[in-house]
Parts: sequence; C-alpha cells; structure tokens
Amino acid sequence: MAVKVLIPTPLQKFTNNQATIECNGGNIDELIDSLEINCPGIKSRICDDTGKPRRFLNLYVNSEDIRFLDNTDTALSDGDEVSIVPAVAGG
Amino acid sequence: MTKGKQQTTNDKKQQRAIMLTPKELERYSRQIQLPDLGEKGQKALKNTTALVSGVGGLGGTTALYLAVAGIGKLILVRGGGLRLDDMNRQILMSDDWVGKTRVTKAQETLNQINPDVEVEAIAEYITPENVDALVQRSDIALSCAHNFPERDLLNAACVRWQKPMVEAAMNSMEAYLTTIVPHQTPCLSCLFPEKPNWDRRAFGVLGAVSGTLACLSALEAIKLITGLGKPLLGQLLNMDLANVEFHKLHLYKDPDCPVCGKEAEGAEGTLNHGKGERPFAPTTTNH
Repeated sequence: MAVKVLIPTPLQKFTNNQATIECNGGNIDELIDSLEINCPGIKSRICDDTGKPRRFLNLYVNSEDIRFLDNTDTALSDGDEVSIVPAVAGG
Repeated sequence: MTKGKQQTTNDKKQQRAIMLTPKELERYSRQIQLPDLGEKGQKALKNTTALVSGVGGLGGTTALYLAVAGIGKLILVRGGGLRLDDMNRQILMSDDWVGKTRVTKAQETLNQINPDVEVEAIAEYITPENVDALVQRSDIALSCAHNFPERDLLNAACVRWQKPMVEAAMNSMEAYLTTIVPHQTPCLSCLFPEKPNWDRRAFGVLGAVSGTLACLSALEAIKLITGLGKPLLGQLLNMDLANVEFHKLHLYKDPDCPVCGKEAEGAEGTLNHGKGERPFAPTTTNH
C-alpha cells in the first residue's frame, strides 16, 4: 500500500529535510518499519522501547487518530495520508 | 430596598455596563456589519475578560487582535524582559524597550491602540499558585506560552473552572490550533497525555508564522464569544506554513484523561458544576 506520510519538522532530519515521503505498509506497524528502512533512526523517535508510539505525538490516518482506531494495527489503504503530529509549545 | 428592586437595579447596571457607546459603535462598525456578529456580538466581546498566557510573537499578536476587536478586558501574563532577538515577531514592542519588562510594554501599546480596552499586565509566569485565581476571573483563556508546564497548568485550571481555552502552538514553520471547551471537547491532556523535552530557543521562527497563528487564535476566541462561524471544537487545525498545507484532524475525549476523564471528574466534585449547553458564557460584566 503506497501511503503519503507527513513528517513534522523535528523528524525531518531523518528524511533529508523532506516534509512528505511515500512509504508502504498494510498497517501502521508496517508503515513505521518501512519508514525506518527508508529513514534510519526515525522509528526510535516515533516509538518507545516497547514499539508503541510515544505519548507526546499522535498518528492520524487521513484525519483520524489511530489511538481511537486500532492503534498500530490500524489498516492502511492505497492513497491514505498519515500525519505525524508531535506536541509543540512554541509561542 | 426590597430584594426585587435590588435585582432590577443590578440588572440595569449590568445592561449599562454592556451598552456600546457612540464611539464604540463607530469604531467597530465594520465588524458589526458582519451579520453573525452584529451589535449583540460586539456587546458580548465588551463583556468578556480574556486571559492571555504568554505575550510573545503569538500571545502579543493574539492580544492585539482581541484588543482591536473590542474585547472588554485583557489579562496579560508573562514574566521576564524583552530581548533583542524577540523583535522579529513581537509587534507590541519597540526597540528602546529591550531589557525591560515585556508585559508592561504590551499593556502600554494596547492602551495606545484602543484605550477603551482594559489591560492588566502581570509580570509573572503561570504557576500552580496563581493559575486558579487568574482563570477564575477570566471568561476565556488563550494558551500561548513558550513551554509545556504553563500550558498544562492553564489547561487543567480551565477544565477545573469550566472556562474555554484556545490552544495555539508552533514550531518553526508548523503550527496547530484547537478550541477546548471543558467537558464538551477533548482537553490538551486528551490530545497529548505526555509532553516531550522542549527547548524554546531550539527552532527558528518567523514573525509572519507566529502572527498567522495569532490571528487564527484570536479569531477562535472571537467566534466562541460572539457565536460567529464555527470554532475548531474537537478538531485540530494542523498547519505547515512552509508548504501551505492545512489539515483538520479529529480529536476525541480520552475517557482515562487524568485532567478531564471520568476519574478526574469524580475527584473534582463540586468544581465541575453547571455543565451548560452554551460553549461560552461570560461571567463578568463590569468593563
């Protein structure tokens, strides 16, 4: 499944400063593994030691928060857009 | 005086307090023309006290747009002085003020721009000691601080005292915005149960970016106060201003949220009274 991933600024150092990248995955777990292959080091920024997304960032499939879907088992379809949104505090 | 007469007198005083003067009717005539705002919305603005936490590129500009819109009172809360490297975005400041107390200059500038707005300047940060009193005497809060602890304190106090809060934050060319109405929408803690390490000077910032977010933030408050349009309730507007990408993301209440979830609600007890249907109901009248 080809999925567009929107990368926030703090993680763009792993994507060669790209704000969006295309990845593959049938679900979020697979997508994160695919991200790690393409952008080494990014997974540990997204997930904690148990492999779950860190609680200071959210993943949205299209406009829905995966915490209220099937978490990292949330299925992905061709053309889906996944946003990674970390908590920020700039004012 | 009988109790009935006293009540009538109080009602009249309240009505007088929110009457618009001829000067105000002229000053705000272009926005009163907006059908969903009108004189009723303008009176609601005049009858509102807004707490602005953080008076930087975001909070200062948010305060400016609330002031020119005719908000009744602003309470500006920000400790510390002005630095030269603040000046690329802090449009209430002036070059000769570098090194001096920032919030005082914000008050002075806002008074010059719109003397009809009462501006209270508090040269402190939001703390566990001051947050409840600040929120209690406000009708709405604008969360614009440069750190997570102040934002979390404000969020929790707004939930405790049932006051709406506009959460606006940015990082480099990205920003997000949502409007929180306690017990109706998710709160900041539902959205992000934990916060990352944060260095407030570790990213670049353009004044036009913090200013864009500030305008949207002020607009959210104005919408909530006047009933104009549709506020971002239960939605996060996520913005990438470098690439002009805007996305609205759905937010959900976390039933286990330590701030507004079921357990917290039970523990708060009497503080969480009066869950009204209206998302916004000013409690103060004397401006």
